[in-house]
Amino acid sequence: MSNDQRIRAILFYLSVAIFFTGLPVILSSSLGYKFNPRTLKFAKTGIISLKTQPQGASIYLDGELLNDKTPATINELLPGSYNIKLELKYYYPWFFQVNVEPRKVVRLEKIILFPTRSNIEQLNQDKVARFWADKDNGRIYYLNQEGTILYESDLKGERFKELGSLPPGFVSFPKELKTSPDKEKMLIFNAHQIAVFYPKPQEEAFYIQPPVLLDFSGQQIHNVFWHSDSYHLVLVTDRNIKVTEAQANSSPVNLVNLNSGVSEVFYNVDNDTLYFMDSQTGEDGVSYDNVYKLELNKKAALLNELIKLRQNGKE
Amino acid sequence: MEKNKRIKRILEVIPGFLSWGIITLLILLAIFNPVTCAVIIIIFDFYWIIRTVYLTTLLVMAHHRLYRQKEKNWLVECHRLQVRGIANNLYHLIIFPVYKEGLDVLRPSLKALQECNYPKDRMIVVMAFEERNPGARGTAAALESEFKVKFFRYLSTFHPDGISGESRTKGANATWAAKRAAELLRSEGIKDEEVVVSCFDADTCVDKEYFGCLSYHFLTSPKPHQASYQPIPVYNNNIWQAPSFARLVEISSSFCQMIESMRLEKFVTFSSHSMSFKTLVDIDYWPVDMVSDDSVIYWKAFLFYKGDYRVIPLYNTVSMDVAYSSNFFKTIEMQYKQKRRWAWGIENFPFLVSGFLNERQIPLVTKIRRSFHLLESHVTWAVWAIILVFIGPLPIILGGAFFNQMAIGYNLPKITGLLFNFTFLASLVWVVLSRIILPPRPRGVSWMKNVVMILEWVMVPFIILIIGSLPALDAQTHLALGRYMEFNPTQKGIK
Repeated sequence: MSNDQRIRAILFYLSVAIFFTGLPVILSSSLGYKFNPRTLKFAKTGIISLKTQPQGASIYLDGELLNDKTPATINELLPGSYNIKLELKYYYPWFFQVNVEPRKVVRLEKIILFPTRSNIEQLNQDKVARFWADKDNGRIYYLNQEGTILYESDLKGERFKELGSLPPGFVSFPKELKTSPDKEKMLIFNAHQIAVFYPKPQEEAFYIQPPVLLDFSGQQIHNVFWHSDSYHLVLVTDRNIKVTEAQANSSPVNLVNLNSGVSEVFYNVDNDTLYFMDSQTGEDGVSYDNVYKLELNKKAALLNELIKLRQNGKE
Repeated sequence: MEKNKRIKRILEVIPGFLSWGIITLLILLAIFNPVTCAVIIIIFDFYWIIRTVYLTTLLVMAHHRLYRQKEKNWLVECHRLQVRGIANNLYHLIIFPVYKEGLDVLRPSLKALQECNYPKDRMIVVMAFEERNPGARGTAAALESEFKVKFFRYLSTFHPDGISGESRTKGANATWAAKRAAELLRSEGIKDEEVVVSCFDADTCVDKEYFGCLSYHFLTSPKPHQASYQPIPVYNNNIWQAPSFARLVEISSSFCQMIESMRLEKFVTFSSHSMSFKTLVDIDYWPVDMVSDDSVIYWKAFLFYKGDYRVIPLYNTVSMDVAYSSNFFKTIEMQYKQKRRWAWGIENFPFLVSGFLNERQIPLVTKIRRSFHLLESHVTWAVWAIILVFIGPLPIILGGAFFNQMAIGYNLPKITGLLFNFTFLASLVWVVLSRIILPPRPRGVSWMKNVVMILEWVMVPFIILIIGSLPALDAQTHLALGRYMEFNPTQKGIK
């Protein structure tokens, strides 16, 4: 037998020995058994799996510090109840009482550790009364305490700057600010007025053209939505639902007269459909609330025509 | 006769039945009893980890041996034997069965013979062409004009098509050529026992020390006629030009042969190899109706010598072409077909067991051991990648919430991960070894190729997926269904 063959034979028998000695250990451990050398018996055990965000928390099991940090697996636990405490510097400790069952795993894998000193940061650099966050544009808009000046910053609060003043005729405090789908215009409305702006985010100047003020005196504006064409506005007032161009002197078209007062509304800009609630008196004379759907997509072109016709009629 | 046929048919079904049985059983277990399936997978994973470490160690040992003997002048060693009274009167009969290979493939093979460090006046070369190949005569004439006078004797043979009892196999061509060579030897008065025959694939380029090494081992072997002599096949002829996928597959094939060379009790001839011509004649040459003639010839000799026959590894290389094609998918297809042809070696199982059943002088233990080795290696080949890659994750996927809250459901992916880590470590060793057996970078090939040839090892999992087990399973299924394969030579790449 050559030297190589002798070494090979040793390797082979060593491999066989490792396989047959290692296999019972691996199998019993995988199945959740623990061999007790005193009693020479296998005991059923369970597992706790711990994963935290952020990682690296110290683990206390029934008050005893373990030699491991998260993410961690605590193996070979006899069935029963265990108190777990996780500790990480600058984070609130995390406590949990867990019941370990034989041959089973308890997965505590969605633990978030919250920082003790929260990362609170002031974003506004002037006194503000309201703000609106626009996730799609990555912008936060701020309104000053007097309700006259708009500011903007990015979502981190950086690049904070003044956008400009609201139009002088915009009299009461704004309810909401909305950016058009093409991201080129913004509207801000109060109970009776809508102001449409043309912001120019890359430059200092607020307007590329003067703001448009649409006045609806005598009506209570409940909500305003941008149509997907970024040209029309869908208004929901206490009396009706109407459409208007985001232009000065445009003539709104009344689409629906509402029976009840303020309606619950939802506008799906993807297909230009308005969902709203209104009451209807039944044959029995009792008033019932119904949910309606108003499609504006196919009608948009027609509406435009209609608005133009009205304007021509006025002239 | 009818009974023998029936037994052979049953034996043909067994490998495919076992492989499909294992796969089906594991899939059913994954669905209906995922815990049991997971236990089997963990056992298999652990077995595979140990096996990977063990085989990689053997590979390193074989590599070390190959490296150690690389610069050895074997002809000098043969001369030294003469001092000890062992005369070297050997003739080397070298047969190249040729199918459609052209001068671009055959000329380098003969040139390599010519450049051997061994007396050419002791070498008889037979270029064995297929008569059905229309270009054969022209190729033969061109080679004769160039090489006829370079060797002791040079013969071109043309194997007629359609001989009764034959299939279109390499073995049929080689047998025809060997019989013509036997006639030549008789006419020259050379005895069969003085001749060592080497049957090489057409693209085989031998190392310059190959025949010295072969002669030395033949002369020093206690029973030289009861042994085959197996060199290490490498695929260096066009390895720098071959695409990554094909190159990796062929390097892996070389590694497998190196590992096998260390496991002598399982070692069987493969591809290009050598043996005693006397034995070849005694066992009635290569099989003429089987595809895997390279391994069947070993089993024929094993049965003839009642189990007292072995393969002696030669730590000397014979270099062949990497098989590849014009585009990636064709290369995959070609490699797949080549591996399926190799896996068709499972046809040895019914041949061997039938032989054992009719043979009473071989000890039962030997019969069982050799049959088991053969069957086990082919069944493992057909299922290992499928178990590791496809069935391994099944209990987790199909086991549902119940299985995933079990301890074993939690541990299974961890153990599988451990297996892949071991495989990754082993593959680092393979990368280093592959660099050592690589021939020098030819002119015109960018140095960047060195980097590519290291990085390409990340493709190993992909290769395992495609040609890990499927060709073997395919071959076993064909055999089980009685759809026999014909020899279909692999198109090799450029040199």
